[in-house]
Amino acid sequence: MPPSQDPFYAGLGQAVRIGTDLLASLIVGGGLGWVLDTYLLDSTPWGMVVGLVLGVIAGIRNAYRSAMRWPGSPPDTESKE
Amino acid sequence: MEESPLHPFELHNYIPLSLGGLDISINKAVIIMWVVVALVAYLMLRAGASRQLVPGKLQSLAEMLVDFIRGIILDTMGKDGMRFFPLVATLFLFILFCNLIGLIPGSYTVTSQIVVTAVFACVVYGLSLVMGFLLHGAKFLGILVPPGTPGWLLPLMIPIELISQLARPISLAVRLFANMTAGHVILGVLFGLAISGGVLIGWLPFAFTIAMNGLEVGIAFIQAYIFTVLTCVYLGDAFHLHGHDDHAH
Repeated sequence: MPPSQDPFYAGLGQAVRIGTDLLASLIVGGGLGWVLDTYLLDSTPWGMVVGLVLGVIAGIRNAYRSAMRWPGSPPDTESKE
Repeated sequence: MEESPLHPFELHNYIPLSLGGLDISINKAVIIMWVVVALVAYLMLRAGASRQLVPGKLQSLAEMLVDFIRGIILDTMGKDGMRFFPLVATLFLFILFCNLIGLIPGSYTVTSQIVVTAVFACVVYGLSLVMGFLLHGAKFLGILVPPGTPGWLLPLMIPIELISQLARPISLAVRLFANMTAGHVILGVLFGLAISGGVLIGWLPFAFTIAMNGLEVGIAFIQAYIFTVLTCVYLGDAFHLHGHDDHAH
């Protein structure tokens, strides 16, 4: 079996990915909202609030999607030797 | 003995240099990067020099690495991704050797500087954007609209997709940087405990230090692996604009 398909590494890789993906979307969402607030719209705090909410949604959605791509997860029942 | 646990990450200039107002001083990180480049180049050239049918130790190690990277590319991008092999292999080997060399006591972990990882992430993400616009033109903006989205959801979906696209380079950079930094802080703190604990109790944190060092070797591999896989995934996304499911093996 080529090492890139070793379930141990694949699983560990996925696990490490999801955590930072959640965090990064939060940072980007909040950051974009803050920039809109401070420099463009002068609408403190609403841009950041909406941005954070969107960031949370994006993060969870990404985590969900990458979990669904996981070989052996319920929806795509691939043969898992 | 009062030292910040982040003290080992501070860089001091050995040779101050500046080029047109740009600070290009030589410090420990720069030297370690040179060492890594020289080491990787030497090992790979040496391994590729003999090209025996029955490979020696070095050659089989190099073949294993190349096979590993090719496996990642074929899994995530398919056959036409092989044209990125040089880029992906360079990234993987450089990050892997940076992480591993940093584990030698007294050396320095280049990947614990967010500047370094951010440059890698921006190069990868920028390349995927350029590739996408070159291949698909303005249609590449369709990456912001997941397939099968009803029209009334568009005002919500486009900001969300924009955020998750922009989060890609950040998560790429932060993941590598944070994992390397955190690992070394833990090692440093544990070793500090071992020293201040004396012989009576100090062996316990010392044993943990050794165990953690073993774990860190694994982390060094896994972080290099993840960075490479995600590089391939992002480049692949630019290739096949939500076309066929390229994640089915």
